[in-house]
Amino acid sequence: MKDVYILAIESSCDETSMAIVKNGKEVISLSIATQIKTHENYGGVVPEIASRMHTEAITLVLEDTLKKANMKIEEVDAIAVTYAPGLTGSLIVGIEAAKTLSLIYNKPLIAVNHLIGHIYANNIEDNMEFPLLALIVSGGHTELLIMESDYKFKKLGETLDDAIGEAYDKVARVIGLKYPGGPNVEKYALEGKHSYNLPKPVMDDTYNFSYSGLKSAIINLVHNAEQKGEEINKYDLARSFQDVAIDELVRKVEKAFLETGIKRLVVAGGVSANKYLKEEMDKLCQKYDAKLMIPRLLYCTDNAAMIGAAAYPLYLKQEFIDYKINASSHVDIC
Amino acid sequence: MYSLYIDTHYIELVLALFKNEKIVCIKKLESNKHSENTINLLNELLIENNITVDNLKEIIVINGPGSFTGVRIGVVIAKIIGYTKNINIKALSYLEAVSLNYDKDVIVGLKDRNGIFIGEFDKEHNLVDDYYYLSNKEFESFDKNIIIDDVVDILKVINYMKDKEVINPHLLKPLYVKRIEVEKC
Repeated sequence: MKDVYILAIESSCDETSMAIVKNGKEVISLSIATQIKTHENYGGVVPEIASRMHTEAITLVLEDTLKKANMKIEEVDAIAVTYAPGLTGSLIVGIEAAKTLSLIYNKPLIAVNHLIGHIYANNIEDNMEFPLLALIVSGGHTELLIMESDYKFKKLGETLDDAIGEAYDKVARVIGLKYPGGPNVEKYALEGKHSYNLPKPVMDDTYNFSYSGLKSAIINLVHNAEQKGEEINKYDLARSFQDVAIDELVRKVEKAFLETGIKRLVVAGGVSANKYLKEEMDKLCQKYDAKLMIPRLLYCTDNAAMIGAAAYPLYLKQEFIDYKINASSHVDIC
Repeated sequence: MYSLYIDTHYIELVLALFKNEKIVCIKKLESNKHSENTINLLNELLIENNITVDNLKEIIVINGPGSFTGVRIGVVIAKIIGYTKNINIKALSYLEAVSLNYDKDVIVGLKDRNGIFIGEFDKEHNLVDDYYYLSNKEFESFDKNIIIDDVVDILKVINYMKDKEVINPHLLKPLYVKRIEVEKC
């Protein structure tokens, strides 16, 4: 069969990224312009600033991607773009660029869900075999799904309130750590002991998650300590939080191993970069003799290579879209 | 060879093709979703005139001010076509474009929901000082003559832009004028 090259574009949050991916697996080139340094000044991503920076970076990232691949746009078979979920203004920049390229070069256009992109990041350096369990952990999502085949999902459970990444960011803010909060909480947790007693989220028999109670408990704890003039041990608190937060994920995945009999786990989304999460899932998978897949760091965080990987099955099914496609801040996988 | 005019700065989406300083075709659309409509409209414009992007030699784009997202759409399209096809891009603001309707010193404004974008021009259409934005409240005490929400005469723009500078597509940016909340802190 003829090789398929897809030019993929991702601009859903604070990275402008493009990639050329061959047959959904081989990353021919990848370019990422990150805005983290800018948003650090504001303690979080400012949507309007993100959209502005995407606009300024868009042709530079395209140029870099083509140069690294030593390819011309004429040589690719399709243009893929993240259309949801994410910051609408940011998504629109990537979408408009993709539509324009599709029009100029008369290439089919493929719309990719960002979260499904994170799952397919696992197909880049490994092979996803089905059925599998997919755990999505990011700043906006915490979901556990069964994936029966390409693009065939069944949801087991999801967060009832905050996403795990959101909880990390909020805890970071409460204990005074800089943006991006997640990686900083993780760094502090590495040096701390589990010395604070925090409530366990959702102790029910569902696959749902909850992080708002845990977050509130930490806010109250810090607030009370301040009032009493006591010092909080930030390292210990970060560790105590992380233990409880990750344990919640482990318990639900373990339940899924037992109840579904599926022995493959894919972890996807920004929080999959967390080393403690990786270690704990590794232990769990060993216990159940299951295969664990977590992409390496480059493909854990937002990048266009995963969008190219997720676009490939859609290319094979000829699921192309027209120029009406618009950005969407919230879209469910299933 | 044709030139393409792109204006997505506000509610009315305007695309035009021109050749030898004459307008060949204009497409207008009242739209509150430029992101769904602009490329479709451009596609129609090209098809109806039986040309492709390869028949373009120049893009003139209105780079703002107005709706932030609206302006970005026009600018991103111009950047991508300009960069990939090596086509010259020239940009001017909506306010400057309107000033071309007047052969005298003129103050031009564009209203949005919360206030008004303002540019003051001399009779050669040079911007005096900088563009600025006044809130509706601030604008209540504005006591100079001002032309508001006037229509752009595309032929005048084409003529005026003839000897204007070409912009590197990497450097083409929207003109926002209005500051956002975090910039005010």
